[in-house]
Amino acid sequence: MAFKDHRDFIETLQKTGDLIEVTKEIDWDLEAGAISRRMYEMGGPSIWFKKVKDYPEGFTLYNGSLGTWRRVAISLGLSPETSVREIYRIYEERLEKPIDPVIVEKKKAPCKENIILGDQVDLYRFPAPMIHEGDGGRYIGTWDLVVTKDPETGWTNWGMYRFMVHNRRWQAGWPQPTSQLAYQMKKYYLPCNEPMPVALVIGADPIAHMVATAPFRLGEDEAKFAGALRKEPIELVKCETCDLLVPAHSEIVIEGEIPTDQIVPDGPFGEYPGYRSGTMAEGVGFRVKAITYRNNPILTMTAIGVPIDDSSIAASVTAGIAMKRGLKHRGIPVIDVYVPPEGVTHLIYVSVKKGGAQVTKEVLDYFTARRVMVSKVIVIDEDVDIFDSGQVLHAFATKCHPGRGILVEHYEGRANSLTPCYSPKERERLKGASVAFDATWPLEWPQEIVPIKASFKTIYSKEIQERILQNWKSYGFK
Amino acid sequence: MKQEYLTFVRQFKDLKEGIQKLFIKDLTPGPKKYDTKYVRAEISIDPEKMKNSDILRIRSESGVLLPQPWGIKILEELPESVPGKPWEDVFKAIDSECEITKS
Repeated sequence: MAFKDHRDFIETLQKTGDLIEVTKEIDWDLEAGAISRRMYEMGGPSIWFKKVKDYPEGFTLYNGSLGTWRRVAISLGLSPETSVREIYRIYEERLEKPIDPVIVEKKKAPCKENIILGDQVDLYRFPAPMIHEGDGGRYIGTWDLVVTKDPETGWTNWGMYRFMVHNRRWQAGWPQPTSQLAYQMKKYYLPCNEPMPVALVIGADPIAHMVATAPFRLGEDEAKFAGALRKEPIELVKCETCDLLVPAHSEIVIEGEIPTDQIVPDGPFGEYPGYRSGTMAEGVGFRVKAITYRNNPILTMTAIGVPIDDSSIAASVTAGIAMKRGLKHRGIPVIDVYVPPEGVTHLIYVSVKKGGAQVTKEVLDYFTARRVMVSKVIVIDEDVDIFDSGQVLHAFATKCHPGRGILVEHYEGRANSLTPCYSPKERERLKGASVAFDATWPLEWPQEIVPIKASFKTIYSKEIQERILQNWKSYGFK
Repeated sequence: MKQEYLTFVRQFKDLKEGIQKLFIKDLTPGPKKYDTKYVRAEISIDPEKMKNSDILRIRSESGVLLPQPWGIKILEELPESVPGKPWEDVFKAIDSECEITKS
């Protein structure tokens, strides 16, 4: 049974010990962010701040929905103890069966319990947190999903993009120029000089947010993949001021438009790579036209930063499986892809059936073809456990030839502007480079010269292994 | 009591004294703290030189705080947004795979 909203999910996390309620009053100005950040770094539970300074009772903050693999497993309806490998497998399996959303009437949509329109809109009604000291402002949209539509094809995109309160009726954001939101803007709205309708959704069911982090292909609706992962359709409801559809059980929905002729400044902001690098920009302006919200709204947030947190965990599985699909689509003999959360989607492991320089080059070509979010890829043979970073590091250290095993590709106009090692000049031009490390044995080596891995399972015969295992206790070992 | 404001610049050297147009954030405590205004204002590196000036704190593009605040006198509040196209500069550099315009 899927979670219909964040409240169901929170209730379950309370039962599994994965949530702590803080009843002491906390300040939205840095205190909630600092507590949440420290808790991530301790590997602790999610936190529900029940009393927020300057705000009436019932207006609460919740941090860390999917900040551990346990919580990801719970969100998918699995045992909290489910292994990462199994989470990946189940996620991939469920995606094969997309389920279309269902549209519900307004009266059945909890997110319509309160409706504020036009001049009455006021973003300061909600306790948007000032997350990190030195950020450009209060980010109301962090653990969010942003809904936009291509009016020509009907394709609706959900993406997780940051949005900051500019003033009571404007937000500023920085969906990357290579994002799918930017693609839609560039394809239709900018040429037509029409404002782009947009809805920022806060506190939908946990799976909806997870799929918003996923890099699905252009034209693919995230809503049907949310249904696939939930194993039942997600309920959507029409916005008040446009024809966009949003999750009906969301806590808060901010409706508006992105003008094509007006901008407001965004950032800087401590971002998912774990740094606040030069991400200040002439951002995207979001003119708010309506806000709808549930009674006692819960503002979901993530005090994003150094891994591991919601972003690095969710993107690990969503990006990992998307990359695997993409590599397969290109005919690359991929076995698995693992995105270690510590690598914040900059470092990717790819295991292949047959490696070598050519396959490594094809892998690198895939990662650099369009927008490039990945800067380092380690390609390994299938005998390496891809979910064990220790094994991957060993393969990289020993099998990647320092002279001929490192492939670099430079590009401009499609790099990840949030990559901290890029200079301000490179960021401005979206200029960057990606590298693939070929940690596979060359295909041209005859079998008899390939080094044998000196592990118990690989350097001893089955017969010796079985004898040792059978006699293990007799040696006096436990 | 002096009002406190905050502004961001890419690098500290970018900020020039005199009359400037800039986005500032109101640091008055309360639920509207960090509210952004676009203003025309006179700013000075030496607040003592400006009579009846308020305090302008300055942060860089990575959020580093300049140790010494400047002085600011707001002359005029301007519209809340400025003319411009989203990602205008960046789009020019992007090698798009799909350059579609509405026919």
